[in-house]
Amino acid sequence: MKRNIAIASALAALAAAIAFSMPAAAQDAALNQARSQGLIGEQADGYLGFVPGASINADLRGRVEQNNIQRRALYTRRAAERGVSVNEMAAAVACQVFERPQIAVGERYRNEGGQWRQRTASAPVEVPSFCG
Amino acid sequence: MRAHILTGLGAAIAVAGCIPVQIQAPDEPIEINLNVNIRQEVIVRLERDAEELLENNEGLFGPGGR
Repeated sequence: MKRNIAIASALAALAAAIAFSMPAAAQDAALNQARSQGLIGEQADGYLGFVPGASINADLRGRVEQNNIQRRALYTRRAAERGVSVNEMAAAVACQVFERPQIAVGERYRNEGGQWRQRTASAPVEVPSFCG
Repeated sequence: MRAHILTGLGAAIAVAGCIPVQIQAPDEPIEINLNVNIRQEVIVRLERDAEELLENNEGLFGPGGR
């Protein structure tokens, strides 16, 4: 009995240690791989999108959709705090993503006009016009 | 003379109307720009918020590459 309690408390401590050591949202290796493979990319609307013609399996589709749902929740909360539209908050984040850029060389992205581009070492990322 | 020109013009228009116009479909699908309601001054005002969202949610936005 005493031993069970000891094991249970050890497990609880381990779980807590894991929970605290993980960042709020851990890097998703599958998403990062899909980015570098050119299957998905950042869009000027502040969300992830599927590159046309790419073969997207159900797992990847689900991950992208979950990611976008989480983004939307973040945008919605902050937009409400600032009294702006969700689209504007999303666009402001997109500006950061495109300006930094949070898009690595070789990755694809969708510009303001809706066209997909690939970031190359020589050409700068096309930053949306509304970024100012 | 004037009547002739007008008749000629009319004939030209009539003929032009009969020529089938070939419309080439674009290679890329036509995209509707959804950003028409984005106010630039709002984006500028939200810069700090956007930076903070990115930095506090690195997992959502990928590693990027500078």
